[in-house]
Amino acid sequence: MSKEVKGIQLSQVSALAPLKIVRVFNEKGLANLVSHPRPQRPGLGLSGYLKHIHAGRIQIFGKTEAGYLASLKDDERGRCLRNYFALRLPGVIVAESIEPEADWIAAAARHNTPLLVSELHTAPLISRLNAYLYQYFSKTIKMNGVLMDIMGQGVLITGASGIGKSETALELVNKGYQLIADDVAEFYIDSNDELVGRANEVIKNLMEVRGLGIINVNDIFGASAVLDEKRLNLVINLEKWDPKKKYDRLGEDNLYFKILGLEVPLINLPVGPGRNLSTIIEVALRNFLAKKAGRLTYLESRGSTAPAAPGAASVTEEPPKGDSTT
Amino acid sequence: MIEKKQQIFNKLGLHARAAAKLSHLANMFSADIYLIFNEDKVNAKSLLGILTLAASVGNEIILQAAGADEKEAIQAIGDLFDRKFDEEI
Repeated sequence: MSKEVKGIQLSQVSALAPLKIVRVFNEKGLANLVSHPRPQRPGLGLSGYLKHIHAGRIQIFGKTEAGYLASLKDDERGRCLRNYFALRLPGVIVAESIEPEADWIAAAARHNTPLLVSELHTAPLISRLNAYLYQYFSKTIKMNGVLMDIMGQGVLITGASGIGKSETALELVNKGYQLIADDVAEFYIDSNDELVGRANEVIKNLMEVRGLGIINVNDIFGASAVLDEKRLNLVINLEKWDPKKKYDRLGEDNLYFKILGLEVPLINLPVGPGRNLSTIIEVALRNFLAKKAGRLTYLESRGSTAPAAPGAASVTEEPPKGDSTT
Repeated sequence: MIEKKQQIFNKLGLHARAAAKLSHLANMFSADIYLIFNEDKVNAKSLLGILTLAASVGNEIILQAAGADEKEAIQAIGDLFDRKFDEEI
């Protein structure tokens, strides 16, 4: 189940995103709603071409906009500003501590558009706004499972209730890996189109271990055992060992798990007596990293390092013949 | 799969102790049981999952169960809610 959001008040953006706002004009307009994740530079919008200026987007003024407006004659500038601000924009952020002219402020005030002055240059200002707004506007979804950082990779361990997810995660934390969320992880898509997971604020750093109750991993293992959020690289699904099911014996299956429309590599791990899950997961991660680097053990083990056609490994069972000199 | 609307009657809502009782009860059934609140859907067998809902008194949630003993599960869990988790007189 995923959620979508409609808009965010400008005051919340300026308070929560690191925008280095130093001054605000027309403060009443801070209650305006921003309804689009990408900020916009007006460009030709100031000269009168308003077709693609979106009334839900935060507007960014830099040296170009300020310089262009300053180059216009007074009556021309008044007309441009009037037409531009008539779009009822949610707000304008002026970069590089440029002082807004009195006529900008007046034109903006007529349509309740606030002007915010930031110390930042336009490029970092836009990228910080993007990062914050993308996270805010992204669909989010809650997934059942434990999210961990293992060897630098974000891994979601899923499986039916009672199969031992939390116990396995506890062992991994004990080995020095980091917990992001136990039981329920929330995912969103960031401005780089990547899936990022974090814990719900209520259960951050907490873990439930049957028999011990709820433990705080940060208190017990220290700050190095927890992380706020992590990009998701791999899903490991724990399931009861089923003798009739065919498990991957060669390591050539490429399975994927879909979250919010993005595909994440998936490994199905059968749980059976005598299988040390945390060690298997560690090795699975090493193997995952090796595969990422292009090492395909199931092909190499035939005795030739030349990459054969996909699937060839499962066709022949015959060991390579004598002439190992080549 | 069956669903039931359920109101929360106990003063403290789905706090830790109530969530523990609820997940303990849910774990007695083989059916998959979910709680749905504010477009969030969590596994009723997961204590931390229930806590993330932060549902409080007066809120209405949806109980959902699918599996062999789904009817008994919904009945028993609905009953626990109606009994205010046995915490008030």
